[in-house]
Amino acid sequence: MESFRITLKQATLKRVLVADDDPVMRHLVTTIIKQQECEAVLANDGREAYRILKGDSQFRAAIFDMTMPYLEGLDLIRYMRSERRLMRIPIMMISAEQDLELMVSSFSAGATAFLPKPFTPEQLQSAMRMLLGSGSSSLKAA
Amino acid sequence: MSFDQLTNNENAESNQHPVAPGSASGIASDALDLEVLNAFEELQLDDGSDLIVELIDLYLHDAAQRVSQIREASLATEWVLLKRAAHNLKGSSGNLGVRKVAEICQKLEWMDRQDSPEKIADLVQLLEYESAGANALLAAVRQRRLG
Repeated sequence: MESFRITLKQATLKRVLVADDDPVMRHLVTTIIKQQECEAVLANDGREAYRILKGDSQFRAAIFDMTMPYLEGLDLIRYMRSERRLMRIPIMMISAEQDLELMVSSFSAGATAFLPKPFTPEQLQSAMRMLLGSGSSSLKAA
Repeated sequence: MSFDQLTNNENAESNQHPVAPGSASGIASDALDLEVLNAFEELQLDDGSDLIVELIDLYLHDAAQRVSQIREASLATEWVLLKRAAHNLKGSSGNLGVRKVAEICQKLEWMDRQDSPEKIADLVQLLEYESAGANALLAAVRQRRLG
């Protein structure tokens, strides 16, 4: 039983929810997630991510595009921060907007990190490391 | 004017890979920043795949759809749809170094009701032209990588 718990916890620590309607971005982010020895759970838009989150909270982190069909990244952050089972999951927002107000809105809503496009591979890697690092420390604190 | 007409006599390779405006020879062009694209080499996984080829394939498929959406939205004067598609194409283009396309998409995103339909139509036409050129360059990069 104990080993089952450990295995379950390890699996939980490796799953990252990615919601982006851009297939190029999904593939890039997935590649980095695999480099970090984690597993990407993919959603093609905000509504799909919302449906996943309704029934699943076992994520080490979440990465959302700001502008998506049906539900935007900001809506997903607000939903996650209002749900006890999801509120500790670190979230990174990716946006093609260089708008400072959007960044402020993201952090106000509860984002852990914000990455404006275009970004370099190094920027994406370090943002991801920070996000996954913050995930494990918050889980440790829990 | 068609893309073929615009690129006519651009260089000897144009029958195989139409070349974007501004390119001299090979794959060097201000339409595509190869340094940006090649930077993704460092993210390459050790699984035998070629990340850059995969990204190009995904981009070519997605960009064709987005440009088509932009054209249709322009004809139907559906500005919200046009701006959304332009926003999406700007993001992926910027990240892969497809500069000109990203710049035109940015202009389309910033269009407002005061801009004339003719001005928007001109930008859409320019987008189609630049996108075709950039896509040809990406296809050439892809071909070279596959050897």
